[in-house]
Amino acid sequence: MQQTLSALVIHDIKNSLALLEADLEQLNHRADAPDEARKAYQRCIELKNRLICFLTLYKHEHAGLKPNISEVELFEFLEDLVAGSQSAMLASRHGHAIEVCVADLGIRIAPEVRRKGVASLDEYLVDLALESALNNAVRYAASKVDIWFEQDADRLTFFVLDDGPRPTRTGNAAQEASPGKPASTGLGLSLCKAVTEAHGGGSVALADAPGGGALFTMAFDIAG
Amino acid sequence: MQDRTDANSMANMLAGKQETFESEYIRFDALTALVIDDIGAMRHALRSQLQWMGINSIKVAADAQEALQQVEANHYDLVLCDYNLNKATSGQHFLEYLRSERLLSARTIFVMVTAEAEYAYVANAVEFAPDDYILKPCPEKKLRARLERLFDRRNFLLPALAAMDDKNYLQVVSECERLMTLVSNERWLLAALKLKAEALLALNDTTDLLKTYEQALALRDNVPWVKIGIARARMLLNEPDAAEEMARQIVADNPSYVAAYELLAEIRRMQKDEEGAYLLMEQSAKILPTAKRFRSNAESAFLLGKLDEAKQYAESAIRLSNGSITERPDDYLSLAHIQTDLGDPQGAIHTLEKSARRFEEKGAYGISRNAILAQAYFDAGDKAAAKRLPERAQRLLTPESGSSALNLIGKAAFKMGDSVLGLKMLTQAVQSSGLERERIARHVTKSMIDTGQHDKVEEVIDAGQRRVLALVDEARKSMHVAQFDAAYRKVLDALAIQSDNIEALFAAAQLHLLWLKRDGIDDDVQERAKSYLAVLDKLVPHNEKVMGFYRFYDQLTGA
Repeated sequence: MQQTLSALVIHDIKNSLALLEADLEQLNHRADAPDEARKAYQRCIELKNRLICFLTLYKHEHAGLKPNISEVELFEFLEDLVAGSQSAMLASRHGHAIEVCVADLGIRIAPEVRRKGVASLDEYLVDLALESALNNAVRYAASKVDIWFEQDADRLTFFVLDDGPRPTRTGNAAQEASPGKPASTGLGLSLCKAVTEAHGGGSVALADAPGGGALFTMAFDIAG
Repeated sequence: MQDRTDANSMANMLAGKQETFESEYIRFDALTALVIDDIGAMRHALRSQLQWMGINSIKVAADAQEALQQVEANHYDLVLCDYNLNKATSGQHFLEYLRSERLLSARTIFVMVTAEAEYAYVANAVEFAPDDYILKPCPEKKLRARLERLFDRRNFLLPALAAMDDKNYLQVVSECERLMTLVSNERWLLAALKLKAEALLALNDTTDLLKTYEQALALRDNVPWVKIGIARARMLLNEPDAAEEMARQIVADNPSYVAAYELLAEIRRMQKDEEGAYLLMEQSAKILPTAKRFRSNAESAFLLGKLDEAKQYAESAIRLSNGSITERPDDYLSLAHIQTDLGDPQGAIHTLEKSARRFEEKGAYGISRNAILAQAYFDAGDKAAAKRLPERAQRLLTPESGSSALNLIGKAAFKMGDSVLGLKMLTQAVQSSGLERERIARHVTKSMIDTGQHDKVEEVIDAGQRRVLALVDEARKSMHVAQFDAAYRKVLDALAIQSDNIEALFAAAQLHLLWLKRDGIDDDVQERAKSYLAVLDKLVPHNEKVMGFYRFYDQLTGA
């Protein structure tokens, strides 16, 4: 009974948050929207993302995430991810614009991959994980965030690179946020790990990028 | 906004091809949309999101009934439908209804909006799949990105989709072939192949079907509709073992795939294993319960003599469709018929006179209702009431009444001792059953056995038709592998035995159309095709399949 009640309450909160977000979205479309409206919108999105992230992790720990696998065209998928990313949108509304793009040049597909540029994934879960990685990246980036993938015969890896401070200097996921920016909860990396586990395993890491900045990698052990 | 041709250029880069198709900028302001959601605030939010994208012409509906009126009255480029509409009709029921009644234009993009928990249901609905689904909550930017992708693909396929709406299937095939030479983006190629296969199925053209699905398989070997398509094509080509193996493989990979179970059931039925088919249909109804599935299972269980299960399915069909667009008065007929056979005449009388009181006593429904009530009153001991009812049923008879209604009058007549009327009605039921012959023959056989007429079954059912049907079957097999001369000889043999056999005439017409398609116009073949169509038109006027053949004929001959 208690579980049913909790499920109902959470469902209700999630729906109400979505409606609040839609209202704030509309408000922000107006040319005369005050700065507070933008902040409220941003807070609402953060809150919704945290709730979804929490719910996904809760499900992973209690019932196990069951991925709904479909064929995903990887380039289109990343393109849509960036085009529809709220983190990317909010980044462009901050004081200084941060450019988020799919880095064509980074994409590498090994010759032995049978289905080039296509993978069997749960689009929704991977989108959720990468959106959380993007959200983290735009929060620290100085001006630019790049996203791309590499496909090998037995592994698919996504990369998110930002030109912000190196994570080792600031202390990985628990790094201090810049003043005025919301602090990270650390839920993001756990979510990404849960998503790779749900797909049968892989690895997630946040490390210093070779040329400076932070490089996030999420690898899936899946055949290509 | 990113340039959407990027995906194509990427695919080209991978395939080393040159692109000749350029996608146009999507003009949202020229589109029309329908938003269906039972929650006012959600409706409003979705409408506002579409408005901000530039769509000006947006209608909203709170339930399936309202939405149905909108779809019937207007053309929509986009339908955004919430999955969880209300208790009676889900978004999936609504979509199944629209697609099975062919109310949706091929150019309309139907997007299901679902909560995460409902996603699995939508993803498993292969036969009546939406063009896409979005998970709630969906921010405007994500929705926009998704819609741009969908409209991009639609615009690419537009000439073929328009031909699909005109039911000009030959043109759909040729447009798809032309479009496929313009792009190398796999997703678009697959969409074109899928549309081409649909058109070939509508044309009953099995000669190209397998090849089309195999082309799709070469692009992607893990897409369910491609595998289902291959299995279906193999079944139509009369290779049931290969079809079954493929369908079993799909079920093994994805145990919740309803379309695969339904195809397996069709294959079992083709091999006359009704029990096996029923078990598979039970599984599919468990995975995706709909009134249509319950209805069909009620009939199968009834024919197999599993009356208690039949009753449960009939009751479930009524419960699930009550008050919704999928409600059918025939469900009450089935339930009452089953109740009568179960020895519960009072229950049957209650079902028809109380629960189904609102349906008008006319047409095939009126006939069947009176025929079932006659049996129920007879069993309940009210002979006077029972005697009046078959007469009332007969007064409603017209040449279009249908074999099911005739079967029920026949059964009532036999039960009440009027074997002359019984024999007349049941023979007529079999003779006018056309393409439903097998199904009706099973019903008639059951009616006769239930009323103790075992010795007359052969006489009523067979009437010289068995040989004809075997010949038609052989003709179809030859036709499917494009051996038209051999097929023609079999059809002629069949028609020599019975010149007005509907199935033989259908096979003859289809054979000649495929012949014209493959070899081009030949006066003799064309003349024969025309004459078979004329006979069919006279025997089964306004038949959709005959009309389809006529369209095919007109397109082939440029009439």
